[in-house]
Amino acid sequence: MNHPQRAAVFTSDAERTTWHDETLWFVRQKRDKAVYAIPEFQQLRQLASDIKEHTLSRLDEYLEQFERNAQANGVQVHWAADAAEHNRIVLGIMRGVGATSLVKSKSMLTEECHLNPFLVQNGIAVVDTDLGERIVQLREEAPSHLVLPAIHLKKEDVGETFHLHLGTPKGEKDPQALTEAARLHLREKFLVGQVAITGVNFAIAETGAVVVCTNEGNADLGVNLAQVHIACMGLEKLIPRTADLGVFTRLLARSATGQPVTTYTSHFAKPAPGRQIHIVIVDNGRTRQLGRPDFRASLKCIRCGACMNTCPVYRRSGGHSYDFTVPGPIGAILSPNIDLHQHSSLPFASTLCGSCTDVCPVKIDIHTQLYKWRQLIAQANELPAAKKWGMKLLSSVLARPGVYRFGGKVAREGLRLLPHGLTHATAFNPWAKARELPEAPKQSFREWFEQQSSIPTGQA
Amino acid sequence: MRNGQQTPMKVGLFIPCYVDQFYPQLGIATYQLLEKLGVRADFPRQQTCCGQPMANTGCEQDAKPVYRHFARTFAGYDYVVAPSGSCVYHVRKHYDVVEQTPEVQRVRQSTYDLFDFITSVLGVTELPGRFPHKVGLHLSCHGQRGLHQANESEMTPVRDGQLSRLLRSVDGLALTELNRNDECCGFGGTFCITEEAVSARMGQDRVQDHLQNGTEVLTGGDMSCLMHLEGIVRRRQLPMRVLHAAEIFNAALAQPSKPVSTFVPGAVVAL
Amino acid sequence: MSSSRESILAAVRANRPPATALPPVADFGGEASVERFTEWLHFIGGQVVRLAPDQPLEDAVQQLFPKAVRIASNLLPATVPVNGQTTTEVLEAVDLAVLQGELGVAENGAVWVPEANMLHRALPMITQHLALVLDHRHIVATMHHAYAAVQHTGAYGVFIAGPSKTADIEQSLVIGAHGARSLVVLLR
Repeated sequence: MNHPQRAAVFTSDAERTTWHDETLWFVRQKRDKAVYAIPEFQQLRQLASDIKEHTLSRLDEYLEQFERNAQANGVQVHWAADAAEHNRIVLGIMRGVGATSLVKSKSMLTEECHLNPFLVQNGIAVVDTDLGERIVQLREEAPSHLVLPAIHLKKEDVGETFHLHLGTPKGEKDPQALTEAARLHLREKFLVGQVAITGVNFAIAETGAVVVCTNEGNADLGVNLAQVHIACMGLEKLIPRTADLGVFTRLLARSATGQPVTTYTSHFAKPAPGRQIHIVIVDNGRTRQLGRPDFRASLKCIRCGACMNTCPVYRRSGGHSYDFTVPGPIGAILSPNIDLHQHSSLPFASTLCGSCTDVCPVKIDIHTQLYKWRQLIAQANELPAAKKWGMKLLSSVLARPGVYRFGGKVAREGLRLLPHGLTHATAFNPWAKARELPEAPKQSFREWFEQQSSIPTGQA
Repeated sequence: MRNGQQTPMKVGLFIPCYVDQFYPQLGIATYQLLEKLGVRADFPRQQTCCGQPMANTGCEQDAKPVYRHFARTFAGYDYVVAPSGSCVYHVRKHYDVVEQTPEVQRVRQSTYDLFDFITSVLGVTELPGRFPHKVGLHLSCHGQRGLHQANESEMTPVRDGQLSRLLRSVDGLALTELNRNDECCGFGGTFCITEEAVSARMGQDRVQDHLQNGTEVLTGGDMSCLMHLEGIVRRRQLPMRVLHAAEIFNAALAQPSKPVSTFVPGAVVAL
Repeated sequence: MSSSRESILAAVRANRPPATALPPVADFGGEASVERFTEWLHFIGGQVVRLAPDQPLEDAVQQLFPKAVRIASNLLPATVPVNGQTTTEVLEAVDLAVLQGELGVAENGAVWVPEANMLHRALPMITQHLALVLDHRHIVATMHHAYAAVQHTGAYGVFIAGPSKTADIEQSLVIGAHGARSLVVLLR
């Protein structure tokens, strides 16, 4: 299935689509309110973009500086070229300390690497501790949003899942009660977790520290009770200075949820005595993206999810319709770099309305990149045949005024004279499923203009 | 603005391909509106399309001959004016893939959306005339976020723009306050076919917002959005008319509400 | 492993974009008032209590948390001694932790808590309730000022902004996800 097919399944439940759209629009509105309140917000976006741009332009140096400082802090730094290597490194660390259980806070990177199934296959018990992540983990689903992993579910769905797995009373659907049940359930896991994995929001080159932002406190709780902390990061998470966090922490939560800041902004530099910190730096296609001038700005992404909340397509098609770790507009420009063929429908899952670009806190030109991926997809011969040949035909018509005039007249006359049932047959004409075609006039504009013989035609 | 020049500006009218064929009344209204504002536009017969349908589908390479044809067709004009922000945005932003001959560069710079032309070039920010209806403005994304013709809700709570200012100036015309001021309608070129389900749903939601807030006449600066929305309005037989803003202004100007002496059509051209 | 390091760094070097300058550190000014700090902390679910100049901390804590039995603190007589070696079982039973906050941020209600003030790294999150004592003169306007003041974030340190929370079920805000169920800032 491609995006349109999965989206059609999602929208077929009209009521749920309304709910999904309105819930995410509410988050967008909270974001707006927070953003309007900061007069310098647009300057902050520019600064964030410039800091990231600069960092990418000297990324090798910052990575080495970061590694040096982290090692001096007593942290073990690992490098993974791809997902498989990342997963092997994590398993190796776990085996090295004889651990068989793991608590994990939110990390899109480990989702990208499909770490959970790999560890489970190797006999490791993995517990996702972010509430939304835990919900989708119990349901054996993928997160459907970067920041709100279970946003595709209603409280009744969560109630059912918790009834099944956590023994909450049947029919319990109160978010407060369900969250309390998860708190109790996950506390048990935190208390016995041997190893804690976190993602990384920012890695600071000048100190070797990694910064993790959460609202629930699950990252800190997991890490600070476990013997070993493994922080997994894409290599684009680097920023040069601690002071740069001032810019990014002001942007991140406001863009994501409209909060002024996340509840916990945690800076991990040195392990507590007798404990370990490992940092795994992952490439997995990022250096390839760095080498694509049209697309490298996507590496500035701080995973706030604002582009999803604002995207009118995402809101109505759901995160799973993208079938990629990172859904929504940002996912649609990251995914073709990973597998152009598999994700070729994603850059087309957009009207190019540009709202994503306008909310992006690091000013990624998302909708322009969508447009550019479309060109590459066409060049790579990944367009559906009808689209490809249709466009070739259209171009040849539109470059020839005479042919165009004739073709236009045929189309218009056809629409005017053929029976409605034929022109609106949904088998040939998807437009007509929900929409009428325009009523074809007798005369085109140019025919009208030519008739105005009394009108001087200008100098052309 | 033209500084005291006496030679009339040469304005070429670009009527998008689908407007030419299916919405000739919009072409006529655009032509007549410009005429009432003192601009006698020409319609070069060789014109076809800006090439956007192909390019947005990924077939920019195939569209190149169409781009060159567009540039050739309009090379001799001071301004190219189109009642479609989307086409204008495409010419300005995406014609960078063909050789930037002086002709191409000139045409890219001088191509204007109709209301941008009226506001920025003619310097007209108020229009006389009467249109006593509750009008809902659908901002096209390319006009708004692409050409920055209106404030974006992503940036500021202020709801203002070239087209809304012009509409507000018309006597009797009340603008609908929408729940979502600048949400996309879901047309999106071939998106409306390939992503039919989402496209239709977006359009229905857009229409619903207008319906809820009392829109009698749904308008905008881009006929492509309006064609999609009109398709939904007619399918659902909703009590709403869909008119391009040029049609509204042209109709309003036919029944001036203010003494003609306060507004001299054509005077602005000589400013 | 080291071969991946070399190949990744080589690929980064090969694909480096044109050099651009690092912008200077930002400072947009802003209001560093107790009122603003209080407003924001309330907005995010926390509470601010102003201590009278001569009011003993114990009294305020006793009034605010009459039911707290197991209290961990280095600022008042504690009922649960906590240090870096304290076991998880003991930590898990703490009702209330009363810790020193170093710095408050007016624009968002966050308080900087460095490791040295935590007794144990897990304490601020594992405790059921958290009270942070803060000098009202240590409130800065924005995160820019906060990082300028903190300078080095140390071995471990956290900006804590309100109680633990989640909205993962239908975007309904629930206070008390995994960390502290409530947060009070006691302003001196």
